[in-house]
Amino acid sequence: MKIEVLFPEMCNLFGDLKSMDYLALCLPEAEFIRTSYSTEPLFVTESPSLIYMGPMSENAQEKVIQKLMPYRERLAELIENGSPFFFTGNAVEILGHYIEKDDGSRLAALDILPIWAKRDMMHRHNSKFVGQYEGNTIVGFKSQFTMAYTDTDIYPLFTVEKGIGLNEKLKYEGIRKNNFFGTYVQGPLLVLNPEFTKNLLTIMGLSNPTLAFEKEVSDAYLALLQDFKDKG
Amino acid sequence: MKRNIRFYLALFTAKITYRALRLLGRKGTNVPGELALYICPDFLGRVQLPERVIAITGTNGKTTVSNMVEDVLDDCGWQYTCNRMGGNVNTGLISTLVSHSSPLGKPKHNLAVFEVDERSAPLLLPYIKPDILVCTNLFRDSYKRNAHTEFIFSLLNDYIPDSTKLILNGDDLISSRLKEKNENRFFGIAKEDGEDGEMKNIVCDIRSCPKCGETLEWDFIRYHHIGQAHCPHCDFASPPLDYVITNIDREKLTFTLQYDGKTHEFPIINVNFINIYNSLAAISLLITLGLSPDTIAASMQKMSISESRYAEEKFHGKDIIMHLAKGQNPIACSRAFENAKDYPGSKAVLLYLDDYYDATYSVENIAWFYDTDFEFLKDDSITQIMISGVRHHDLYVRLLIAGVSKEKMTHCVKPEDAIEEYLPEKAETLFVIYDLFNLDAANAVKKRGKELILEAEKEAQA
Repeated sequence: MKIEVLFPEMCNLFGDLKSMDYLALCLPEAEFIRTSYSTEPLFVTESPSLIYMGPMSENAQEKVIQKLMPYRERLAELIENGSPFFFTGNAVEILGHYIEKDDGSRLAALDILPIWAKRDMMHRHNSKFVGQYEGNTIVGFKSQFTMAYTDTDIYPLFTVEKGIGLNEKLKYEGIRKNNFFGTYVQGPLLVLNPEFTKNLLTIMGLSNPTLAFEKEVSDAYLALLQDFKDKG
Repeated sequence: MKRNIRFYLALFTAKITYRALRLLGRKGTNVPGELALYICPDFLGRVQLPERVIAITGTNGKTTVSNMVEDVLDDCGWQYTCNRMGGNVNTGLISTLVSHSSPLGKPKHNLAVFEVDERSAPLLLPYIKPDILVCTNLFRDSYKRNAHTEFIFSLLNDYIPDSTKLILNGDDLISSRLKEKNENRFFGIAKEDGEDGEMKNIVCDIRSCPKCGETLEWDFIRYHHIGQAHCPHCDFASPPLDYVITNIDREKLTFTLQYDGKTHEFPIINVNFINIYNSLAAISLLITLGLSPDTIAASMQKMSISESRYAEEKFHGKDIIMHLAKGQNPIACSRAFENAKDYPGSKAVLLYLDDYYDATYSVENIAWFYDTDFEFLKDDSITQIMISGVRHHDLYVRLLIAGVSKEKMTHCVKPEDAIEEYLPEKAETLFVIYDLFNLDAANAVKKRGKELILEAEKEAQA
């Protein structure tokens, strides 16, 4: 099993990259390929069991779009074919139509997914998140400059119970198309939500997956969930 | 901007409020400034400033550097205005200016030394227009407030006036690039024996050349992105240093500083690199202000780091270290953990890292745990880790992922319960690592720790 981590030297904000270290503990046999910005991504010639990309700075977004643009058709093909992807934070925006900057100008993105994002660099959004995913409660946090928008409701990932969705008016968070998972929820999500992680591992081809430190992670999940309930 | 009726109304209201708060025994740090801003939103643009304004900013160390500079100036009998007792955001600076001015707002002193919150640069720097600005470093800090390093860099770069002279950390490849066309001086510490280009931390916020994008080659990395590097492809490199520490003598507790062709020895207040950088930033500024190195060194000989931030105590054969680690700040906590690892002998570590306000009123975003080098705590010299705080389950998981064995750890909500697990006979030193607003609880832990040391001593004698 090969897991490709895209551009870890740039896409490494908000602790999310560490979720790949956690996945490595869950999958001791898996090979993690950390693709640097200056090399050709593995997905160009192979179909990894998971392609991960994490949050990045706004400058890095421009560079990553530039880097991935030549592979746009390949990425679209992999998503259509059901290859598992996990993109977190503003990495999701790379695959959308465009990113609107504070001055109103637009940064064209890969135009694979039906979303677009709008930055507001002087007003950072912070909130707690509780949502539902296939019968499981998802917990986490949001901390971001952008809001994302879409004109379709056929690709929701989580339904919102607490906090906001892709934007302050939308009641679903993230985007799921086939086995592409994209979300702004931080935590890292895979450490905070053991059932979601197991579900992702199943989609990656494991039957009855077990997690590293499963009891401890589950205890932490229940404690966090209770804290969310107690503190509103 | 001219002073108008609204300005004077704001000034008088703030002055009365400041005096009333003082009579009530309160410091009056922000409230007078808040009131002044409410009445006159452009107050800072209208208020008369001291003739010379110094600003000290950066992610880590700005309070310590400001305190050091002010202590030396006090020792030398200088008269100046500072916000040591006030906040470092716009309301705090306004409160300071109001309280250090005549009834009509004329500054009492010709010099001001302001600690400035880096995130507040847009609200402050265009108005106070510092003559000199010191930036200690730029690192990741609170995700909620500061987002990421590039964001804070761009705020400072956009709002530092072109006329401001900069004193910058030349070993920080991010902050050393601030306002490159301004007059600037760089401070740094020469490569020490054993330092190499190996990355030991999770976070390094500059890995590729900001000019051409090529991967940087590190001459040495001290921690995170602090070190010296160059681009193998273009002419980008760490800047040449104007104030450089060439030798650190950790036994004599001195360091040698070279600048402008001169060499001088200064006392070390604390041997941690972060505090040597803080001393260096303060000395670079004080020399720029015209103080002689002998005067600075003599004043610094009398100093210690504030005990609320770091304190060592010997107690019945054990060392007890109280170490502040600013929560939600992955770099500050990583430095504290590395300090614990590097401290000689065996150690027991108690962690109380809850953000006080989040723990009391909300749920803390714990994503920062995963940018923090908890991996330092798996070192064999750390024999015991007592985890406390509302998020103790999450910390426990983070430490397991870091590779710390379950046998070494205990975890619970209350620090006063956590310390009950302390086994003095298994460690020579007790480290208490606590967040900014947890000092009282940390002191209670220390007190109980001492009792447990005495009990263990009695048992051993029996």
